[in-house]
Amino acid sequence: MRSLIDRMFIEPFQRLADESAHIIPVLIIVLVTLIVGGFLAYCARWLTYRVLRAARFDHLVNRTGFGSMVDRAGMFRSPSDAGARFVQAVVWVFVALFALSAANTPVTNGLVSRFVDYIPSLVAACLVLVLGVAASRMASRSTLLAAVNAQWPAARLIAGGVRGLVMTLAIVIALEQLHIGSIPLLVAFAIVFGGFVFAMAIAFGFGARDLARQWLEAKIRASVAEEEIFRHL
Amino acid sequence: MDDIFPTELKARLEQIGSADIVVGIPSYNNARTIGQVVRAVSVGLAKHFPGQRSVIVNSDGGSRDNTREIVLNSESGAEDLLLISHPVHTSYRISTPYHGIPGKGSAFRTIFAVTTQLNAKACVVVDSDLRSITPGWIELLGRPVVDYGYDYIAPYYHRHKYDGTITNGIIYPMTRVLYGKPVRQPIGGEFGFSGKMAACFLGKDVWDTDVSRFGIDIWMTVTAIAEGFRVGQAYLGAKIHDAKDPGADLTSMFRQVVGSFFSLMESYQKVWQTSHGCQEVPMFGFPFEVGVEPITVNTDRMIHALQQGVKDLGEIYKSFLSRPTLAELSNFVHRNGQGFHIPDQLWVRMMYEAACAYHQRKLDREHLLQSLVPLYLGRTASFVLEVKDSTAPQVEERIEQLCQVFEAEKPYLSALWDDTGKEAHHAQPD
Repeated sequence: MRSLIDRMFIEPFQRLADESAHIIPVLIIVLVTLIVGGFLAYCARWLTYRVLRAARFDHLVNRTGFGSMVDRAGMFRSPSDAGARFVQAVVWVFVALFALSAANTPVTNGLVSRFVDYIPSLVAACLVLVLGVAASRMASRSTLLAAVNAQWPAARLIAGGVRGLVMTLAIVIALEQLHIGSIPLLVAFAIVFGGFVFAMAIAFGFGARDLARQWLEAKIRASVAEEEIFRHL
Repeated sequence: MDDIFPTELKARLEQIGSADIVVGIPSYNNARTIGQVVRAVSVGLAKHFPGQRSVIVNSDGGSRDNTREIVLNSESGAEDLLLISHPVHTSYRISTPYHGIPGKGSAFRTIFAVTTQLNAKACVVVDSDLRSITPGWIELLGRPVVDYGYDYIAPYYHRHKYDGTITNGIIYPMTRVLYGKPVRQPIGGEFGFSGKMAACFLGKDVWDTDVSRFGIDIWMTVTAIAEGFRVGQAYLGAKIHDAKDPGADLTSMFRQVVGSFFSLMESYQKVWQTSHGCQEVPMFGFPFEVGVEPITVNTDRMIHALQQGVKDLGEIYKSFLSRPTLAELSNFVHRNGQGFHIPDQLWVRMMYEAACAYHQRKLDREHLLQSLVPLYLGRTASFVLEVKDSTAPQVEERIEQLCQVFEAEKPYLSALWDDTGKEAHHAQPD
């Protein structure tokens, strides 16, 4: 009878106690890591914000034109706030990885190892996106100014098209870096872009042949005429 | 100077040794007019500087229309033109391609280097597309330097009231107000300067900027004034160009000239911030009335350019124009035809705010300068409509009024120049 009671109640409790003795310290370590890490992440955010403010980061970003983008996003108070929150997020990611490592189970170890391997791709994709945003903005503004100075009626549409094209290209490259549907994406992009250009060429060639000729003639005549009558310097 | 001179030019300069006067002619595909310019220069040198060793240097940007051959082979015909029987001392002639960024400034750099290499006392530069040049221009631009110790002589022409709108609306008033010297044609194209001045120009590290293109004229004028050289003007009569200017594209020209001027405001900040009033600039030559070629201007097209600019470039203007300026611009922009008008004060404030934005790098400098083109066209249309029925002296009076507004608003420029608080006004606040 005693043996039955031992097997039914005491031994499971014993096993639970043994398991808990292993798990609870790990859980405590994970919990403490997360609490301390969260505090560190908050400190990193606070410190980064102060440093960026002192270095007039907002002013610098506003000069490059990204300030309005940050403002439009409506998620951050200022570029310095955005930068500080980014640093906080990065610290959080590392804290989470550290906490998972502390668990030291095959599942968490595998997860951590896969994530660490993925970091270079993630960084490359982020870099491509940031450069893509900068390049698209620059290209779009240059196109807009050139089109306005040439007095093209659809200047903003053309500039928007250029921006969309450069951003699409950047997104495709970034996704390719992240190994997310890389080949289908590239093929889709090539088909859509090639098709678009081909369609435009056919449409212009067939539908607006006379218009193109007239426009070019008017353009050449107008520019010659203006040079002949007007000296700005 | 090894990087400036091609090998052939180096050998030729060693052969010549030294000279008293150098006349430089920058060119690019000017076969139609350069022969006449070279003849005028040759006769001018023979007539007005007969005892001096002179060299004519054509600095060419890779012409494909025999420009260089015409320079070397055109007869001066000085004996016939001067009605003399004895042979006159002829000038050496050099035609050389220049090194560096393609543009007028790079061509001038080679001319400065030749002047310095030959230890010349004076150098005169003239455009190669001139149709109204006479031998007298060489004397008027060279004599004050050779005989009266001047370092820099700018031209003074009679021009059509609609002509030279960048000069009249921006460069002349701002040069006068900022640097205190009323040089009426600071970007005229023809200049005389001393060997010392040429060496000063050559020593500056600006040849990879817009100075190597159309920015050269204003850069030379402002450098001469700001560095305290003796500056004068020479009355040359009328200036008539060849009809076709292959390098003339308004946006590029505007960007290069105005960009160079804004850049000079940074280089000579202390000079213009401490400069007050306006000193007279001596004038050489006998002023006379000349007829100028009629000019037609399509103001509707210019007004449309401004309207489109304000509509499409609003985001860009918001980043460097103050709210009151932008609001005032919006009030005036939608008027059409005869009712269209951009007041002087608004124009002056826009230019000063743009100069400060350039200095403070509120946005990409190229973009800033390009975005000014519609504003400039609008202001030009306003000016053309305003002076439509005015005589030449009335137009000069009108430009004088504009200069006074630039002068009155100079404290606004000074206050804005280093005002970082202003930036917060445009920036997104925390």
